[in-house]
Amino acid sequence: MPQKLKETDVVIIGVGMTGSIIAKELAAAGYKVVGLERGQPRFTVPDFQSPSVHDELRFDVRKALMQDNTREAVTFRNNSSQTALPIRRWESFLPGTGLGGSHVHWNGQTYRFQANDFELASRTRQRYGAKFLDPDISIQDWGVTYAELEPHYDRFEYLLGTSGKAGNLNGQIQPGGDPFESPRSRGYPTPPMKEHFQGATFRKAATSLGYHPFPQPSSNLSQPYTNPEGVKLNACVFCGFCERYACEHYAKAVPQTIILPVLMRNPNFELRTGCQVQRINLDSTRRKATGVTYIDAAGREFEQPASLVVTTSFALNNVRMLLLSGIGARYDPSTGKGVVGRNYAYQTMSTVASFFGEDFIVNPFMASGASGTLINDFAGDNFDHGGLGFIGGAFIGAVNTNGRPIQYHPVPPGTPAWGKGWKQAVVAHYNHTIMLSLHGSSVSQKQNYLDLDPTYKDAWGQPLLRMTFDFPKNDLRMAEYVTARGVEIGRATGAKQVAGNPRKGPYTITQYQTTHNTGGTIMGSDPKTSVVNKYLQSWSVSNVFVVGASNFPQNASWNPTGTIGALTYWAIDAMKNRYFRNPGPLVSA
Amino acid sequence: MIARGRMTACVRNPPTRILVLGFVATLWSAYAAGGEPVGDATRGAVVAQACAVCHGKLGEGNFPLGYPRLAGQTENYLRKQLEDFVTGRRSNPLMDAITRMYNEQQRADAAAYYASRSAPYAPAGAPADPRLLARGRLLVRTGDEARQLQACANCHGPDGSGEDFAGPCLVGQSATYVVNVLNEWKSGARNNDGGRQMQVVATRLDEKDAAAVAAYAESLGHAK
Amino acid sequence: MTEQITRRSFFKTVGSATAVPVALGTPLLAIADATAVEPGDARAPPAAAAATSAPAPAAADTEAPLYLFFNAEEAAFIEAACERLIPADETGPGALEAWVPNYLDKQLGGAWGAGERLYRSGPWQAGTPSQGYQLPFTPAELFHTALRAINLHFASTGKTFAQGTAEEQDAYLKSLETGGADLDGVPSGVFFDSLLKMTIEGYFSDPVYGGNRNMAAWKMIGFPGAYANYYDAIDRHGVKFERAPMSIGEDRHGHVHVDPNIPASL
Repeated sequence: MPQKLKETDVVIIGVGMTGSIIAKELAAAGYKVVGLERGQPRFTVPDFQSPSVHDELRFDVRKALMQDNTREAVTFRNNSSQTALPIRRWESFLPGTGLGGSHVHWNGQTYRFQANDFELASRTRQRYGAKFLDPDISIQDWGVTYAELEPHYDRFEYLLGTSGKAGNLNGQIQPGGDPFESPRSRGYPTPPMKEHFQGATFRKAATSLGYHPFPQPSSNLSQPYTNPEGVKLNACVFCGFCERYACEHYAKAVPQTIILPVLMRNPNFELRTGCQVQRINLDSTRRKATGVTYIDAAGREFEQPASLVVTTSFALNNVRMLLLSGIGARYDPSTGKGVVGRNYAYQTMSTVASFFGEDFIVNPFMASGASGTLINDFAGDNFDHGGLGFIGGAFIGAVNTNGRPIQYHPVPPGTPAWGKGWKQAVVAHYNHTIMLSLHGSSVSQKQNYLDLDPTYKDAWGQPLLRMTFDFPKNDLRMAEYVTARGVEIGRATGAKQVAGNPRKGPYTITQYQTTHNTGGTIMGSDPKTSVVNKYLQSWSVSNVFVVGASNFPQNASWNPTGTIGALTYWAIDAMKNRYFRNPGPLVSA
Repeated sequence: MIARGRMTACVRNPPTRILVLGFVATLWSAYAAGGEPVGDATRGAVVAQACAVCHGKLGEGNFPLGYPRLAGQTENYLRKQLEDFVTGRRSNPLMDAITRMYNEQQRADAAAYYASRSAPYAPAGAPADPRLLARGRLLVRTGDEARQLQACANCHGPDGSGEDFAGPCLVGQSATYVVNVLNEWKSGARNNDGGRQMQVVATRLDEKDAAAVAAYAESLGHAK
Repeated sequence: MTEQITRRSFFKTVGSATAVPVALGTPLLAIADATAVEPGDARAPPAAAAATSAPAPAAADTEAPLYLFFNAEEAAFIEAACERLIPADETGPGALEAWVPNYLDKQLGGAWGAGERLYRSGPWQAGTPSQGYQLPFTPAELFHTALRAINLHFASTGKTFAQGTAEEQDAYLKSLETGGADLDGVPSGVFFDSLLKMTIEGYFSDPVYGGNRNMAAWKMIGFPGAYANYYDAIDRHGVKFERAPMSIGEDRHGHVHVDPNIPASL
């Protein structure tokens, strides 16, 4: 029998970036908040200190900071005709865990989506006609606009101290920034990061072709900064151990360096780590949550009653939590009915490698997680797609973050995989190659979805999440197109050899392609086609909010963290100023 | 010939050859048009005769007066400090005048000379309080979360033995000098580092912690 | 503690073109001090630093790795195979000189070999290539099983893998890579991919794990290692970064203390 604990106002499932911010705001507003985190606490000192943290084998190859997949994995298949099998080793995507979540080991790349992205379905139909899309594509409008989110993007960027150069200030295009960005009310809190040699080379080439390069917005900071919460960050030193690693310098914006010091001091907040939430409990009407059930590190089961439950446990875990709890109708691709698990999307990644002679010194190991230079000329709907046969696009940039040699040793196509030829190619190209990344959008389609696996379980006996996904043909056509543009830029750098590698199907979980898993608890204005309303409140259970990339109806051309941060502050505003004043559905169904 | 042991813990891999001509831009100020001079240790020995009066015959420093040890210091750190004294990015009444008496080649030579030197460490004075040393060791190797202080070793190398192009060697350095310099970083009298790292660090080190780090650094000259 | 073995003398002992068997215990490489003493690591308890006396004359490496996981037969195959995957040549050391087999031995004999970070529940099905590894074998089981089958095969030919010429060895490795043989339940391609992956890891990982000896592989490509503050240096566009590589395991005297048992978790 689970032990029933004293009731609290709010339970937060997952104390990562989103959970930390929500906990801080609600605790500061006077509510009693319990944060349940399945992983362990960790802090910059001693846990993130180098040299031990600069260990490529441990953190990069073996994924030491990631979700414990020996106890809790995900099953995967490309389509419904296959049997999903466990992802036995993380590669394609790397869910985090622990206090601070994957925000501890992210790369710091902090983008906003564009206004067009939030109304993708209606604007695409408007611009290109209803028949332009492949019939299986299921993109939707978000139910919220960029204008509504703008102040929350701003607040999030100032919390992190993001370093960048504005491109559009209240409608005025700014030289040196991204001319395609949607209007910002003010500039970034800190100046852009220094540009490395790769970025400078890319900049020259892109400019020569008439494109608009700008510095990558970076939450590894360009200078010391004190955020509005009074928490201080230091300047990044370009150590080249950013993504998959924790920052020893207090220079990466992670919950530990932006908000946890404030949160942990508030007696209204209680952190419990090593706690695996099993489900959100519902009353007999199934329309009201009574709290959550969790199992602690010693295997003891507890029931934590709460008035409000917020799940902020990463996109995939959010979806699983609703499925395990029976909140919302499960999506069934064969009927098209149901909502939980639909519109799962990802990121469509391609590369271009430019190989130079041995007098062209790149020093790839000198880099930060977000100190690149990129263009948005082929991202989103920034270019005319008429006649091209796809929607979406990619940012293209010299955004290489490292030269860690176990995994980074680029060689030209045709190089043998081992032996003397391989070795000589590695030596000839390691310090003389510029890699371009093409970071492409991902449309949702009816066949791609998430549900519960019928066979495989986690260590607590609960079904694993099952992922059914393959690249929509739309996105593969997009990848071909943007890669060709990337190859042109590569050639314009003067490289001796340029090799484009556009994403091809089938999707495989054996190769890293970002941890930008989106969808499954999508937001929208219609409860028949979305799981949460525009305030991220469940349509079915009004005292459950779901916050994370699982809210995205499809994925755009940029990394999701900035938009998740904006949605977080947007949802907090709704909780504090709408929900708590009048608990119940905020939008009539 | 790689020197080991307690003679030159700072320089794990001292340059056994002169610097390659790859440096075509200055690190710290305007990019030099014709390339930087390559330091030559043999020529530098001649320049160093003038430095010896304060920094010791072998570059071991003068600890009672707080003049820093130069022997075995990382070469690019030495070069940068000399250039910064000349341009005014760093200022010390004695060093400002002295560095300007030499040209860039001579300064580069002096840096190369001292980087390649072994010298015995100053004899141990009164033993430092073991708790102070333990605190210093913790700060150098691990840091302090409550004060938002990262480990010094991140930029200064293992046990502070130097990380060329980043943090200088602290091993066996004069504790008096280290405390003085931390105060300069704190007050802003010195601000010639990249990213304002040292100003941030020095501000977070209170007097006791500064003394702890300094005592630990100096003690490493005598430790095994 | 510098290696004195020159490439030429190394080739005499282990000819890649001539069929000289690499027997266990052959003094290929020698080191003065191989003990694993905890360096000044942020999380390690205070440990006595290795006592260093006056600079030793540069002595030849006199020890070979001590294998705890591989038996003699397995080690002989692994040493020869790794050296074909990453051979010594004028650009840099081969896998042997870099102690790559030692890395494999220690990892396979430790937590990683025992199944760290592997979801191990059944049932098991072959799956599609997109679904990745689906076998029940831990890395240790995979290697022991495959190597047993491989060595049985060579026993039946009367000649060991190590006794083959370089061409013969390469041909055999290619047959493992693409030939689809069943090594007692381990598809040969799966074994080959694991072997190649771990060889590259052993070559380029931090020497704290027992491979990448003397950071020779890092020196070869110019990777500076675990100490990495490039705030100033990043402004020097196009200028080669000339600093010796630095290891997680090195102390302030430059000795690298090996510790292969670092967990794959924080």
